[in-house]
Amino acid sequence: MTESAPFTNPWLQWQRAALDESFAALGRMTNFPTLLERAKQIRKGVSSSEVVYEEDRLKLLHYCSDSKPRFKTPLIFIYALVNRPYILDLKKGRSVVANFVNHGFDTYLVDWGVPTPADRHLTLDDYINGYMANVMDFIAERTGVRTPNVLGYCMGGTMSAMFTALHPERVKNLILLAAPIDFASNDGLLNLWSRPENFDVDKFVDTFGNCPPEFLQSTFLLLRPVGNFIEKPINFYENMHNEKFLEDFLTTESWLNDNIAVPGEVYRQFVKYLYQQNLLVQNRMPVGKHIVNLQNITCPVLNLMAGKDDLVPCSQGMPFTDLVGSKDRKSILLDGSGHIGLAIGGRAQKEVWPQACEWLAQRSD
Amino acid sequence: MSDNFEKSEEQAAAFQKIWMESMSKVMQSAFTFGNNSPPPDVLKQIRSGIFQALAQSWEEFMRSPQFLESMKQWMDTAINFRKMSNDFMAKVRNDIQAPSRDDIDTVMLTVRHMEKRFLDRVEDLAARIAQLDSRLNGHTGQSAAKASGSRSDAVKGRKPARRKTKAEAE
Repeated sequence: MTESAPFTNPWLQWQRAALDESFAALGRMTNFPTLLERAKQIRKGVSSSEVVYEEDRLKLLHYCSDSKPRFKTPLIFIYALVNRPYILDLKKGRSVVANFVNHGFDTYLVDWGVPTPADRHLTLDDYINGYMANVMDFIAERTGVRTPNVLGYCMGGTMSAMFTALHPERVKNLILLAAPIDFASNDGLLNLWSRPENFDVDKFVDTFGNCPPEFLQSTFLLLRPVGNFIEKPINFYENMHNEKFLEDFLTTESWLNDNIAVPGEVYRQFVKYLYQQNLLVQNRMPVGKHIVNLQNITCPVLNLMAGKDDLVPCSQGMPFTDLVGSKDRKSILLDGSGHIGLAIGGRAQKEVWPQACEWLAQRSD
Repeated sequence: MSDNFEKSEEQAAAFQKIWMESMSKVMQSAFTFGNNSPPPDVLKQIRSGIFQALAQSWEEFMRSPQFLESMKQWMDTAINFRKMSNDFMAKVRNDIQAPSRDDIDTVMLTVRHMEKRFLDRVEDLAARIAQLDSRLNGHTGQSAAKASGSRSDAVKGRKPARRKTKAEAE
């Protein structure tokens, strides 16, 4: 619309708009038949990696770099059990993983895999004290470094915080990315909807087993109904002729709709102990036989949050730095960004990740 | 019956109020735009205002007791339906002497309990070995007690048996 600025006559402005719209419509018609094919060709993860460790459904990816890592301390990404981890390596120029690899970190990513009905009895204890501990052991064997850096995203951040509190001697630096810690406020709709008077999680898990991906997906979509059901399709239609927009849109949407189930018992524990009873901030969160005390976290901590996050409002992540025992702690809040934007958004790539890489570099061997 | 009717009437009135307010907000935002903008941009501003007002109304609506009540009812219905279909499928499978999902779940749960008991025992033994080890290494009784009370790996976590890596397996 900037081109139409020189026209002061409204009639000319309308004519200009109509012309622009005609060209755009032509572009849309050209792109429409290829949409499905393009969506199918979206790559799931762009950086080159190899699977170095497998356990049940878990896969540990090691990212390959052309040059030798600058830092001996490896970095492990712990992703959530919801959706797939390739959001952290979505596309060139928008990859969180690539930021760290290019900065010289020996980078690993935990892909939890897709749980089957047989996994419905897996608990947070299995994930935190089982799989995560085994991954740490494997990396220690492989690299000779027993205290790696850990970066946890969303639910993976909460799990990373729990792991660090239970095994403080196993983590050198901890970075949380949009991780929910304090569930007291009703800022987020999920908190309100998950209250015991609104949601009987026991009945739900006992009946469904694993939490179905369709349920999770519809819940996430309902958090922003106008945005997701009205604005997004309109925005898509209006920009369908724009190749760059189309590529970004299809990549993000492919990931957003690539949902997986959450193991039933983990879902039950997460909802009951965190969303409903908020035990983590009270240092009463049970993980197996153990109780998580956030004060045990003494390593340097970096807490990254988004100002417009519907899924994990910053009021859920903000208290973390005050709850840990660390002296070296820092928070970065990216205003105007959402849950996914904090990872892959253009502003995050320019403002957050260079800072995060630098922060970690200063604290790594 | 009359209680139900009154409740439904109250809910309908609340819904009506929420949506009347919402429509009024939408109308207000639709007609607050800058006069200096070119006409095509004005339309976009109007649309953006309407969406913003709608989003705000939906947010309020989804926090309202009416919505929460309907959501709970919908969830209960979905759970009951699923339970009915699970029971039906279990009956069919049992009738044809095939294992149902419940049977498989029971087996899985039994295995899990056995695994848990086994791992708990292994953890206890590991803790005792760690204690003995520290004594053998010339530590005093005091340090051994400290070791047993410390957060050693052995007592801290249950670990499923680690599988070999691809490279190791090859």
